[in-house]
Amino acid sequence: MILTLTNYIMLSAVLFAIGIFGVITRRNAIGILMSAELLLNAVNINMVAVSKYITPTEMQGQIFTIFIITVAAAESVLGLAIILAIYRKRMKIHADEMDLMKY
Amino acid sequence: MNTLVLTKYLVTAGLLVPACPFVAFLIIVAFTKKFNFISSTLSILAMFGSFLLSCFILYVMLTAKTAFEYNIPWLHIGDINWDIGLLINPLTSIMLMVVTTISLLVQIYSVGYMHGDRVYPKFFAFISLFSFSMLGLVIANNFIQIYIFWELVGLCSYLLIGFWYEKPEAADASKKAFVVTRFGDFGFLVGILILSFLSKTFNFHEAEQFVKTATANGSLTPQMMTIIALLLFSGAMGKSGQFPLHVWLPDAMEGPTPVSALIHAATMVAAGVFMVARLFGIFSSSHEAMLVIAYIGAFTAIFSATIALTQDDIKRVLAYSTLSQLGYMMLALGVGGYTTGMFHLTTHAAFKALLFLCAGSVIHAMDTNDIWKMGGLGKKMPITAATFLIAALAISGIFPLAGFWSKDEILEATLLSGHKLLYYSAVITAFMTAFYMFRVFFVTFTGKGNGEHGHESPASMTIPLIILAVLSVFAGFIGMPGQNASIYTFLYMGDTPVLPEFNIKTAITSNIVALSGILLAFIIYSAKIIKAETLKKITGPLYVLSKRKFFIDEIYLFVIKYTFIALTKAIAWFDRHIVDGVVNLVGFICRWTGAKLRLTISGRIQSYALIIFSGVVIVIAVFAIYNPEALKIFGGK
Amino acid sequence: MTETVIFYAFSAVILLSAFLMVTSKNIFHSALYLALTLFGVAGIYVLLNAYFIAGIQVLIYIGAIVVLTIFVINLTKEIIGEPVPLVNKNILPALITAGLAGTLIILALMKTKCLAIAAPVDHPINDTATIGKLLLGNYMVAFELASVLLLAALIGAIVIVAKDKEEAK
Repeated sequence: MILTLTNYIMLSAVLFAIGIFGVITRRNAIGILMSAELLLNAVNINMVAVSKYITPTEMQGQIFTIFIITVAAAESVLGLAIILAIYRKRMKIHADEMDLMKY
Repeated sequence: MNTLVLTKYLVTAGLLVPACPFVAFLIIVAFTKKFNFISSTLSILAMFGSFLLSCFILYVMLTAKTAFEYNIPWLHIGDINWDIGLLINPLTSIMLMVVTTISLLVQIYSVGYMHGDRVYPKFFAFISLFSFSMLGLVIANNFIQIYIFWELVGLCSYLLIGFWYEKPEAADASKKAFVVTRFGDFGFLVGILILSFLSKTFNFHEAEQFVKTATANGSLTPQMMTIIALLLFSGAMGKSGQFPLHVWLPDAMEGPTPVSALIHAATMVAAGVFMVARLFGIFSSSHEAMLVIAYIGAFTAIFSATIALTQDDIKRVLAYSTLSQLGYMMLALGVGGYTTGMFHLTTHAAFKALLFLCAGSVIHAMDTNDIWKMGGLGKKMPITAATFLIAALAISGIFPLAGFWSKDEILEATLLSGHKLLYYSAVITAFMTAFYMFRVFFVTFTGKGNGEHGHESPASMTIPLIILAVLSVFAGFIGMPGQNASIYTFLYMGDTPVLPEFNIKTAITSNIVALSGILLAFIIYSAKIIKAETLKKITGPLYVLSKRKFFIDEIYLFVIKYTFIALTKAIAWFDRHIVDGVVNLVGFICRWTGAKLRLTISGRIQSYALIIFSGVVIVIAVFAIYNPEALKIFGGK
Repeated sequence: MTETVIFYAFSAVILLSAFLMVTSKNIFHSALYLALTLFGVAGIYVLLNAYFIAGIQVLIYIGAIVVLTIFVINLTKEIIGEPVPLVNKNILPALITAGLAGTLIILALMKTKCLAIAAPVDHPINDTATIGKLLLGNYMVAFELASVLLLAALIGAIVIVAKDKEEAK
C-alpha cells in the first residue's frame, strides 16, 4: 500500500505520547530531559513529513526542523548544566525530591 | 374681616401650630441646655404662640364651617399615591384648642413644680417635642402621617415617663409603656396597610369614600370591613389604654406629675379617641366593630373604676380614673355618639388635668404619694383643696359643672342605642367614680392630718389650677342641649347636625347616683360612721382582687414567660444553629476545599507538567466531544 | 512497496526503543536507547528525502546531545546499592493523559482533508543547496538569532557549572 501523510503523522503522534509519558513518569532528572528530546523529535518528523507532502518545493518544514534541532541542543545543554549544579549540592537528582517551592 | 380672606392664612396657621414647639425644642436642645430660665420661657412662649394660632383657627372654623385640606404630592409608586398635608376641620380645631391650652397651663405649672431639678431644661425640651408630635398628629390628613406622629408621641411618652431614669421603677415603667403600646401600634399598622392596599390611597377622605362605596356595592365584604376596623381600633386600644392593653398607664405614674397631667390625662391617651373620631366614617361602616368598641369601652370603664376603689397612691387612683373615663369616651363613640365622645374628651381634659395638677401640688408639699399619710390639708392648702373639690364634683357629673353635660349625653346615647347592659354598666361606673373620687378628697383634704408639712404651692402652680377650675365649671355649657349654637352644631358627622335632646330622667338618675356615691364616701371616710376596715373585711377576696388590679400584670408575666420566652428560645436556637450554621458551613467549605487544593502545589515539576498538560488535553477533549468541527485544524472537511 | 516496508521497519525501531527508553531502570541504558531511537528518526528523514536533515540529526542530536547526556550521566552517578524506584506515583494519570493526547491528535488528523495525498513525484531536488539558499536568504534573521541563542546557551551553561573560587581552593 502507498505511504500517505497519515502514516507519518500517526508515528509522530505515538512518539509524542510516549514522550509525554516519559516526561511525567521518569524519576531521574536526566531521564526527563531525554524524554523531552523524544517530544521534539516527534514534532520534527511531523514537520518534515508535512513539508514533503504538502509543500515539496518550498521547504519550510525542513527549515523549521533545523531551528528546532538548534533549540533542542541549547535547551539540552542548559538543562544538563543545571542538573550538574543540583547534583553538586545534593548528591542526588531525583525529580520528586526537588520540592522546595511547595506550599 | 372677610372669612374668605382669613381662610388663606388657615393653612399657614395650621403648619405653624406644631412648628412653634418644634422650633423651641430644637433651640433648647442645641443652645440653651444649661440655662433654666431661658429654656422654660422659650417653651412657654412657643406654646402660647401655638395657643393663639389655635384660637385663630377655631374662630375661622366657627365662621366658615367647612373643612380645608392641603396636600403636597410626596411619593407616587405605581398605583399608590401618598401626599403629605394637613386637614383643618371642626374636629381638628377643637382638638388643637384642647392640646394647646392644656400644654400651656401644664408648662406654666411645671415652672414651679420642677424648680430645682437638675435637668430642668431637658424637661421643657421633651414637653415641647411632645406638643409638636401631638399637634402634628391632630392636623395629619393621611394614615402614614398620623402613624409617624403616633409613634413620635409614644417616644415622647417613653422619654417623659422615664425622665427620672435613675429610679429603676421609672425606667421599667417607660419600657412597659412603650412595649405595650407597640402591640396596639402593630395592629394599627396592619390595618393601615390592608386598607391602603385595598383603597390605593392613604388619605383619610379618599379612604372613607372608598369604604363607603365599596361596602355599598359589595366589593368589600362586611367581614373584611370589620377586620380592618378592629385592627385600626387596636391602635386606639394601645394608646388609650382600653382593656387588655391598659396595664401601662398606672405604671406610667412614675413620671413627674405635670407629665401625667399632660400626657396621660388630657392629650396622648386621648389620641386614640381622637383617631376613632377622625376615622369615624370608616368605623361606622362596620356595625360589629362599633359594638365591639362600645363594649370594650364600657368594660374598661367599669373594670378600672373597680380597681380605683382601693388604691392608696393618689396618682394611681387618678390613673385608673383616666382609664375609666377613656372607656366612657370609647363607649360614646361606639354607640354612634361622635360629638358626644369628643365633647367628653374636651371636658375630661379640663378636670382630669386639674385633678393631676392638684395631686402634684399635694405631692410637692407632702413629699409622698400615699393618701393615708396625708390628711387635713384643706386648711393648709386652700386653693388646691378648693380646685380639687370642683374637679371632683365635675368628674362625678354633678349639675351644672362640665362633667355633667358630657356624661349625661353619653348615658342618653347608650340608652338610645338599646343595649341595656351598656347603660347599666355606665351608671354603675358613675356611682363608683363619685365614690372613689370623694374617698380621695375626704382622706386627703379633711380630717386631722399629720401636721408637719403642708404649705400652699407658689403662684406659678396655683394660677393654672384656678384657670382649669374655671374651665371645669363653664366648659360644659358649649354642649348644653337646646341651643342653636353649640358643639353639636359645630362638630357633626354627615350633612346635618344631630341635636341632642334633654332627657330629664337620665339627668336626675345620674345626679342621684353621683350624690349617693359622695354620701357613701362621706359616711365611710369623713364621718367614719362605717369604718373602712370593717368594709375591707366584709368584702374580703373582692377587696384583694381590686387592690391587686385583678392580677392582670401577674397573668401577663406568666403568659410571657411560658409562651413568648419559650418561643423566643426556640427561634434563637434556630437562628444560632441553622441560620448561622449555613453561613458557617459556607466558610467551612471554603476552608476545606482550600486545604485540599493546596496539596496540588507540591513543588515537583512533574506534577506541574502533568496538570498543565492534562488541562490542555481535557480542553481539546471537551471540544472534540461537543464541537468536533474544532478539530479540523488543517481546514478539514 | 519497499518504501512501505522500510517505513514500518524504522517505525518499529523508533517506537520500540522509545518505549524501552522510558521504562528502563538503568539510566545509561536509557541513553543508549535514545540514541537508537534517534537513528531510527534519521532513517525516517531519509525516507522523506530530507537528506540534509538526516545528516544534521545524526551529527548533532546523536553526536552532540546524546554524548553530552552520557557525560553528565557519568558525572552524576549515584551511590550504587541504593534501591531506587524508577517511576514515581504519577504513572496512572500519565498513562491516561498520554493516551488521550495521542488519541486526540489522531482524531484531529482524521478531520483534515489533506490526508489522501499520495506521495508526490520525486523531484530530484538538491535539497541541501535549497536549504542553504533559504537559510541565508529568506530566513536570515532567524538564522542569526539562532546563533545568538546558541551563544547565550553556551555562556549560560558555563556560568551555571563553574565552581566558585572559594570552593575550588
